[in-house]
Amino acid sequence: MRAVFSQFIKSKTFTLIVLLVVVVVFFQVTSPGSSFLSPANIKNILDSMVIYILFAIGSGMLIISGYIDLSPGFIGVFAGIMVGSLLGNGIPWYISAVLTIAAGALFGLFNAFLVDVLRIQAFIATLATGSFIAKGIAMIITDGKVLNITDPTIVWIGTGKLPGGIPVAIVISLVLIIVFGIILAKTKFGRTIYLCGGNVTAAKFAGLNPRKLTYILFAINGALGALAGVIYSGRMLIANFTSTSNYTFPAITAAILGGISFGGGSGGMLGCFLGLLIINSFNNGLTLLGVTPYWQSVFSGVLLLLALTFDYISIRNRMRIKPAKVH
Amino acid sequence: MGQVLEFVNIYKAFPGVQALQDVSFRADGGKVTALMGENGAGKSTLLKILSGDLRPDRGHVSFNGEVKHFMSPHQSLNSGISVIYQERQLINSMNVMENIFLEDMPGNKLGIINRSELKRRTQEIIDAFGLPIRPTDIVGNLSVAHQQMVEIMKAYRRDSAVIAFDEPTAPLTDKEITILFKLIRQLREQGRIILYVSHRIAEIFQITDEIVVLKDGRLVRTFNTPETTERELVRAMVGRDIGDTYANLKRNDKIGEALLEVKNLVTDYVHDVSFTLRRGEILGFAGLIGAGRTEVARAIFGVDPVHSGEIKLEGETVRFKSPRDAIARGIMLCPEDRKEQGLILQRSIRDNVTMPVLSQLRKGIFLDRKSETALAKEAVRKYSIRTPSVEMQVMQLSGGNQQKTILGRWTSEKIETKILILDEPTKGIDVGTKAEVYQMICDFAKQGIGVIFISSELTEVLNVSDNIIVMHNGHITGRVSRAEATEENVLEMAMRI
Repeated sequence: MRAVFSQFIKSKTFTLIVLLVVVVVFFQVTSPGSSFLSPANIKNILDSMVIYILFAIGSGMLIISGYIDLSPGFIGVFAGIMVGSLLGNGIPWYISAVLTIAAGALFGLFNAFLVDVLRIQAFIATLATGSFIAKGIAMIITDGKVLNITDPTIVWIGTGKLPGGIPVAIVISLVLIIVFGIILAKTKFGRTIYLCGGNVTAAKFAGLNPRKLTYILFAINGALGALAGVIYSGRMLIANFTSTSNYTFPAITAAILGGISFGGGSGGMLGCFLGLLIINSFNNGLTLLGVTPYWQSVFSGVLLLLALTFDYISIRNRMRIKPAKVH
Repeated sequence: MGQVLEFVNIYKAFPGVQALQDVSFRADGGKVTALMGENGAGKSTLLKILSGDLRPDRGHVSFNGEVKHFMSPHQSLNSGISVIYQERQLINSMNVMENIFLEDMPGNKLGIINRSELKRRTQEIIDAFGLPIRPTDIVGNLSVAHQQMVEIMKAYRRDSAVIAFDEPTAPLTDKEITILFKLIRQLREQGRIILYVSHRIAEIFQITDEIVVLKDGRLVRTFNTPETTERELVRAMVGRDIGDTYANLKRNDKIGEALLEVKNLVTDYVHDVSFTLRRGEILGFAGLIGAGRTEVARAIFGVDPVHSGEIKLEGETVRFKSPRDAIARGIMLCPEDRKEQGLILQRSIRDNVTMPVLSQLRKGIFLDRKSETALAKEAVRKYSIRTPSVEMQVMQLSGGNQQKTILGRWTSEKIETKILILDEPTKGIDVGTKAEVYQMICDFAKQGIGVIFISSELTEVLNVSDNIIVMHNGHITGRVSRAEATEENVLEMAMRI
């Protein structure tokens, strides 16, 4: 038991929890009327995390498996436009939503095709698919015009609450990150992601199918990106050409803060979640203190550097020489 | 010159392993001192401390009575120490003279290089050793042997009093080894301190004067080369008597019917290869590096596309599009490059062992940690893999234990192996573990598994296999049984065009 505890102390998760506690305590103390931990504010924090969570899930898994995907934000933009157009043409919400998410998955498959068959670097391929193709098609569909979203169900998904007061969107994103977290940690599929990310050749030689995995993961990311786009439009009541496009990078940053490394093969959903929680709590806290968004950027940057430094120190301590056990 | 190099009470530890423990010995000038020991005994660590790449936790190196704490390779070089590693440390795009004088080009006060002086002084060194190399030869175009000589000349130019060699003969032909030894003897006559790390016992007896044996990070014994025997050395390295490794093998005497029939196989790399592997047979594949043996394995295993020809498994024609297909039919491969292709280094032994059978280690849709651990523990026990736990990252294991992990993967109870292809399974593995691996191969054969044993080490492939196929340049150039095979006739077939 003691060994488990001491190992936990040295783990990345512990570092993140400590950081989170520091941030929470600091803002709870300094925020006017200790409003930081009020139910309303906590809801605000989680609300601001919804889109990021959806992006972090898919992109996180892809990074673990050794790829990067910069397209989900743009696929979200496309999804907002697509669902808006379909709804505008009288198609029922459930068909519109399903078709849109399927379209997102198709974009994902296309990404996988570029990477697997044409052997284009994932960074470039997904950027192209996203910012040129997805966004481009969106513009063509609407001829450059912004769409209004009025369908009550879609709007409810974006802004509505479940009995008890918890926003639907938060529930959806939390459920998804928990589900994928479990899949990643405890199923064969999840293990395969780590193995292929660790060494794709060895994985292939041991009978795994990295190729199939790539297609599945990109498709999932595309679908999640589309879902995020639908939720965003429902929330904003319009679909335009920027909507979710700037959410991808911060999501990936938070995932890396949470322990997913570009080397592939490490990290998990819990880390992602904690990373996002820390960053969003921090920004929220600053807002409560009246700090302008410009200074928020600076502070966020500093926080990120502090977190990474803390991480470096704890890794270095982990590597400190211990007297070996003699057999 | 009467120089002395001393290692005094050296301790060095890495996460999870004490690499060196209280190692002390001296090496004198005018002698070649060998450093021997199993993989993981501490030889490389000692060399790295000497060259300044690592610093000892405790203890020090002393040269001619002066204590030296090398904070960097630079300091080690300046103190007159040159270590010549297995990997070349030369700049391939530059020529011989530029490499030899890299840190010390003759030039004027403005820093402009005096090329004619550079050439002249390089030629002096080349002549001192009598080598067939020109100062203007581009290093990248030289053979490995000649590149090695350039490194020696570098050490000579630095007038290094201490020159250490780490497994220098691995890439060399017999003729080149003779030249290398001539050079080493010259360096020795010059009074320099020569350290020689090698696994090759025959060479140790040829070229060294003293032998230091390490085991598990400790110094076991030092020997005077002329006064010891191979058997005694091996016993010191391994801690037990190996005896005659091959004579003691418990072989399989029941070879069954045809298991794998390969007919006229053609891929990008092999031409018209045909052979039969029978149940319980150990079929050796001998040949020089590049002969095409690994490529035959890759074709059978579904890695390389087959252009024409037929492969029949248990009488049924098969066509594998991926390793997954081959594994499903019971054909397993231990690849030549075990680190790049065989293992996921940052994952645990458990992860690496359970990879192909994850579907069978589940409880519902979740992976069953307990069965995974049990499977891994069984592999560790079966192959005597030395590790404190199955959660240890395989990158921390020695080469021999890494190889055993891969074998464990293919022979667990959850998997049915019909054919095991071993490509250079004993590469970089010490004497003691090699003997274990040979017996394991015979044990596989006894279980009725057909073993394809690819090895560039002639002795082992001749003595362990039941039958041997010799390849050269993608073709089969000979087939012999163990009884008929001799190193001479096999080598001849391996070199035939």
